[in-house]
Amino acid sequence: MAHVVLKDLVKTYGSFKAVNDVSLTVNDGEFVALVGPSGCGKTTTLNLVAGLIPITSGDIVIGERVVNDLDPKDRDIAMVFQNYALYPQKSVYKNLAFPLQMRKLPRDEIDKKVKEAARVLDMTHLLERKPRELSGGQQQRVALGRALVRDPAVFLMDEPLSNLDAKLRVQMRSEIKRFHQDLKATIIYVTHDQLEAVTMADRMAVMNGGYLQQYDSPAQVFAHPVNMFVASFIGSPAMSLIPLEASTANGNTVLTSAEGWSLELSQLNARKVQRAKTKKVVLGARHSTIKLHNSAVAGAIPAKAFTVEPTGDVTFVQAFLSGAIVNISVSPNIAVAPDEQIWLEFDQERMHLFDGETEMALKAN
Amino acid sequence: MSTIAETASRGQTRRRMRVDGWRWAGRIFLVFMLLYTALPMIWMLITSIKSGFAAMQFPPQWWPDQPTLASYQKLLDPQNSVGQDFLRFFWNSLFVSTVTTILSVIVAVPAAYAFSRFSFPGRNFLFFAVLLRNMFPAVIFLVPLFILMRVLGLVNTHGSLILTYLTFGLPLAIWLLKGFYDNIPVQLEQAARIDGATRFQAFILIVMPLSTPGIIATAIYSFIGAWNEYIYAYTFLSKNEQLTLPVGIQRFFSENTTDFPGLMAASFMMSVPVVVLFLVLQRYFVRALTEGAVKH
Repeated sequence: MAHVVLKDLVKTYGSFKAVNDVSLTVNDGEFVALVGPSGCGKTTTLNLVAGLIPITSGDIVIGERVVNDLDPKDRDIAMVFQNYALYPQKSVYKNLAFPLQMRKLPRDEIDKKVKEAARVLDMTHLLERKPRELSGGQQQRVALGRALVRDPAVFLMDEPLSNLDAKLRVQMRSEIKRFHQDLKATIIYVTHDQLEAVTMADRMAVMNGGYLQQYDSPAQVFAHPVNMFVASFIGSPAMSLIPLEASTANGNTVLTSAEGWSLELSQLNARKVQRAKTKKVVLGARHSTIKLHNSAVAGAIPAKAFTVEPTGDVTFVQAFLSGAIVNISVSPNIAVAPDEQIWLEFDQERMHLFDGETEMALKAN
Repeated sequence: MSTIAETASRGQTRRRMRVDGWRWAGRIFLVFMLLYTALPMIWMLITSIKSGFAAMQFPPQWWPDQPTLASYQKLLDPQNSVGQDFLRFFWNSLFVSTVTTILSVIVAVPAAYAFSRFSFPGRNFLFFAVLLRNMFPAVIFLVPLFILMRVLGLVNTHGSLILTYLTFGLPLAIWLLKGFYDNIPVQLEQAARIDGATRFQAFILIVMPLSTPGIIATAIYSFIGAWNEYIYAYTFLSKNEQLTLPVGIQRFFSENTTDFPGLMAASFMMSVPVVVLFLVLQRYFVRALTEGAVKH
């Protein structure tokens, strides 16, 4: 296994910058997820690491080597593709053996390694089948087997689960996580599904528009998103972002809505707002940090329930505040009906404040 | 309630009848097509086993009184001059068609792959330039190509025919194969390259085997085109020992106009390689044509 370093990585197509000055380090044995909406440059970044497309500028280091100009075959990597890319004319056995044959290993050693990989992935009985005779999950597993059979320095995975149905996806998610824990493998994993990234990765790199937005552990990204994009992309249902105006009333800092209500801030939050360069402040709150009341409570803001979606464990309520959608999760034994008057109380400790112009998170110091 | 059910079921029967009517019309049409294409072949076969006299009779003998393989024996006998000529023509045709086929596969495979996978300046223009040739009737190029062949000193050589047939066969071959390569996911090659193959190895070991049906279809197409071609062979070749089958048969039998069984036997033997090729490989041919046409 080895670590991977991307330094000021740039990829342009004509005047279009697909990847923009991306720098990050993947430690030896670390599971890193590249996550972002489609077109954010995450797959391009992965292909640059794999060497499938040439880089425009910057450096890629795998282990101790700069691999900028090396062929994919010389980078000591393995890749799992979204469509699995199994060789359709070859049996499962030959699919697994191919990378070893290409490295000119002796036949008995190939046989040993293929059988070992098949045993680990529990597919010994499938070895003689052709890929088209396998189910989606089995094909997925063969693709994984082909990657691990030759013990590469780094595993690259390009949305390996997105072609599976929901149930199988959850199952394979934990299998890949096990696979990482058992092998102590260095894995770079591309996904558009923030839930996959949050559940599997040691660290996640959130990308948007070719830029790296934030690179940290899922818990950190979840708790301290650096900007409004990351805040709204990570977490489901999405964080509610309410545009407000900062002002001072009776010596206290308050956020005022165009609708007329205002919210008094705690000391820490007030300091954040005072340090901002603009009066426009966006309040961010996750669904679980907003308390819903059926009657007026001091500090709670009146709103109207718009939709009510019971899911069993929790009930999701949507309301509008200052023109923004607010998601709230409540216990199912709280009775709410659409169009009913409700009062929302924000948790000052866990609320997020963003600069309304730069969209960056406000800091207290 | 019952009236509604009745109307519904009556509507159903009527619809089924209409569908059946179309189906039968289709079948009848196919039968006519079959007769239209097969009858001349059958008549050719029957005539070829008649004696010279029986072939000229009117009303015709639908089935010869005394079927004979004499015409075939004569044509395949290297001892007499007819047999010598026929076998030489056959060999010439086989040579020209085979070389054309091999060359067109050798050129079309990498060309189609390049058109499918690489983006290079002038790619679209070149691709349409390749197809442009097929938008004109072949005869238009007869005189210019003849002049060109004379300048190149290729008149009266098989090389002139091979070159000409390539200019006809290659465009469609490239087009067919490009459709094939377009349907092979690029990730397969990428996977192979990551698994340790060079770009060329990925092509040879992974892409080539997957495109075998396309290559076979291309080969059949080139072979049949070259095998059947008449007008260029007629124009470019004048020496008897170089003639290909279509021209050779025509010239040979215009000198012996009465030998219809011989002519039919020769024609039958000429169509044998094509029919055999088609029967053996038609599966691939049809698949290639449809796969090239429909984008998945």
